[in-house]
Amino acid sequence: MLLQGFLKTVRKIYFSHNIVLWLILLVLPVGVSVFMLGLFSSQIVQHVPIGIVRQDDSYLADRLESKLRSSPVLNVKMVCHDMGECEHAVIRGDLQGFLVLPNDLERRALRFESPVIPVYSSGQNYLTNMFATKEIRAVLSAAGSEMFTAQMDDPVKTEIHSVGNVEGNYQGFLGLGLVTALFHLAAMIVGVYVASFPLRDHRVREMLGYARGSRFTLWFASVVPMNIILWLGMIGCYAYSHRLLAPLTLNEFVMTAAAQLFMILACSGAGIVFVGVVGVMRIATGAAGVIGSPAFAFAGQTFPVMAMPFAVRCFAFVLPLTHALKIQSMMLLGDLSMGPAWEVLKVLIGMALFWNLLGAILMSMRWKQFARREAEFEEKMRTAPEASA
Amino acid sequence: MIRRLWKVAFAEWKLMYTDPAAVLLLVVAGVLYAFYYPTPYIHQTVTKVPVAIVDMDNTAMSRDLIRMASASQQIEVKAVYSEMMQAEEAMSRDEIYGFMAIPENMEKDIRSHRQVTVNIFTHGAYVMFHGAIGTAFSTCALTLGATNKVKQIALSKKVPSAKAIAMRDPFPLSIQTLYNSTGGYANYVVPSVLVVILQQSLIIGICVLGGSRAHRRFRKKMRNSPVENETLPYRYFGRSLAYFVHYCSFILFYHCIVYNLFDFPRRGELLPMVVFSVVFLASTINLGMVVSQVFLRRESSMQLFLYLSIPILFLANFSWPSYLIPSWMVAVSYILPSTFAVPAWLSIEQMGGDIYDVAPRLYLLAVQAVVYLALGLLLTRARDKVKLDIGDM
Repeated sequence: MLLQGFLKTVRKIYFSHNIVLWLILLVLPVGVSVFMLGLFSSQIVQHVPIGIVRQDDSYLADRLESKLRSSPVLNVKMVCHDMGECEHAVIRGDLQGFLVLPNDLERRALRFESPVIPVYSSGQNYLTNMFATKEIRAVLSAAGSEMFTAQMDDPVKTEIHSVGNVEGNYQGFLGLGLVTALFHLAAMIVGVYVASFPLRDHRVREMLGYARGSRFTLWFASVVPMNIILWLGMIGCYAYSHRLLAPLTLNEFVMTAAAQLFMILACSGAGIVFVGVVGVMRIATGAAGVIGSPAFAFAGQTFPVMAMPFAVRCFAFVLPLTHALKIQSMMLLGDLSMGPAWEVLKVLIGMALFWNLLGAILMSMRWKQFARREAEFEEKMRTAPEASA
Repeated sequence: MIRRLWKVAFAEWKLMYTDPAAVLLLVVAGVLYAFYYPTPYIHQTVTKVPVAIVDMDNTAMSRDLIRMASASQQIEVKAVYSEMMQAEEAMSRDEIYGFMAIPENMEKDIRSHRQVTVNIFTHGAYVMFHGAIGTAFSTCALTLGATNKVKQIALSKKVPSAKAIAMRDPFPLSIQTLYNSTGGYANYVVPSVLVVILQQSLIIGICVLGGSRAHRRFRKKMRNSPVENETLPYRYFGRSLAYFVHYCSFILFYHCIVYNLFDFPRRGELLPMVVFSVVFLASTINLGMVVSQVFLRRESSMQLFLYLSIPILFLANFSWPSYLIPSWMVAVSYILPSTFAVPAWLSIEQMGGDIYDVAPRLYLLAVQAVVYLALGLLLTRARDKVKLDIGDM
């Protein structure tokens, strides 16, 4: 009896030509995630456009220019006549930076006068500027050490390793986080939609009818399928974005999947709570958007939480995304992180329980209220023609 | 004619301020996000990142290196371990975000003129930590190497130390950042995001208010009012005028208050700013008018555009360079005003670009505005003729 009611309600909510629901539940989160990963398909920053102001026409300047041209990270796009030309190219966005090979560069270098080579970066693009200046420094330092001390190795060499993301690719740095952030937002929006469309369409009594009058059944039929679909969609997208990194072990996979499940439960629960509080889909969607859209900026993957002001850190702690990203990044480090990750998972479980319980209580009250209103309205409509007659 | 236009514009403002969803999107979002977004980055740069050092050499030279790293502004050495495993465990507990491994026999090898490799490990999930830790540790290790190399040159070539320094590095670099002198993260990210916020809130807001269609179903009581039944051009341009004036005030608010408050570079000149505002808002409003004719329900636009905010931001060529984006995605990005508006705004406001510097992008925004205007008028006309029983718009 209960199961029949549950199945019928699920069919009515999810399989009754509700295109918008499937669009926001599956098509958009998966489509946008794949799109974002495609956007980072080149994986690392290369061919950063730079300019050179050549004030010196010596052999050394030629050699430095050809070394810069042969770097795969840089793309010497312009050789400017003066600094103004290069500067305007930076303002137009044609160049990310430029360097000046100053007058008498070779002569002064040969006389050990250490002529300084000024390098100007725009500062408006964090990634390209960082890569460009690092590469220019590396190329010119290598060329400099070849001048007088070619036979002498540098005593110390450094190698930077990114643990869990060996190639330092941006699908690893940003792609994984963005996929999680998208599903974080999706769960809130879908939570709002599923909880509020019977209110919007005045179908609460109809839905309760399918659920055999049980609000408990209606709650489960509303919540369970969306969370499962979102979770499976998220695991699929995450696996796709993770393919370029070291494969996860079974334990790591289980921990990551559990974190994603509880994040989705917490977010959809929060979306339902917004509906329970305001009772209108439009306003609840707006609230979910205001909180969910910029969540990635607060979650610590781009800019670390530890560098944020205290109040913002508190807000970041309240976001399920912060904890889910923390577990995902811990799992990049291998099995060693399993213990600490479990502690973070407990927070996510707590959030999921809190939001879902609160959502269930509030929605139960809303359904009762809306069912009564619908009954009153129906009664009014029924008695109105009689009265007029 | 102008009176009729203003009458429609005033009616639209009245509707905007009496509809809670419209107020949330067209007023609250623009103001709230302007403070909400820059706040996490108020400290601008990442300093004192917790790190560790694994000292497997344990000599005077390795201790010098540790002292140098401890003095670095970007990192804070939380612990010195003797084994790699300890550092890995600390990183897994999130106590540190990276570590440097000083190899065994480092001092001995350097003194015997053998090259030594110092490995630096950073957490693979955090791009900013990777940069900050890598730079700080590399600088320390390479400085140590440079000091020793200068000594080697001076001794082997029998030259004074000043000459040895010049021989090691014959042309030193001086790296300057032109338009973000502090290297602040907020200076880099927030101005671009503000433009995307303006675009998104305006498009969704227009959709929530039903664009320029007649007989908006959610305004049942006003369906017979003369303003609601104005002829199409007056309805279209009058409502556009309302959004245009409203969002001009937002651009002024950002320029005069938000930029000052958060101390973002503010180099914009009047002429390019005015031209930018006109073409950007014209393009965005007309796009909103086009999109608003597609939806049957007021909240559907929110549900769609909330998902699209992140890709739109990344397609705007400020975070990930457009020449690394697949060409079909670049082609898709040409339908969005933000693709041209974000770089144009950065050129004008952050870099002080003149009208000639930004003209190519402003032309493209103007072309978008004209195309969307034609489409908007056509779609509204078509929509006015169709009778729909479902939805609320």
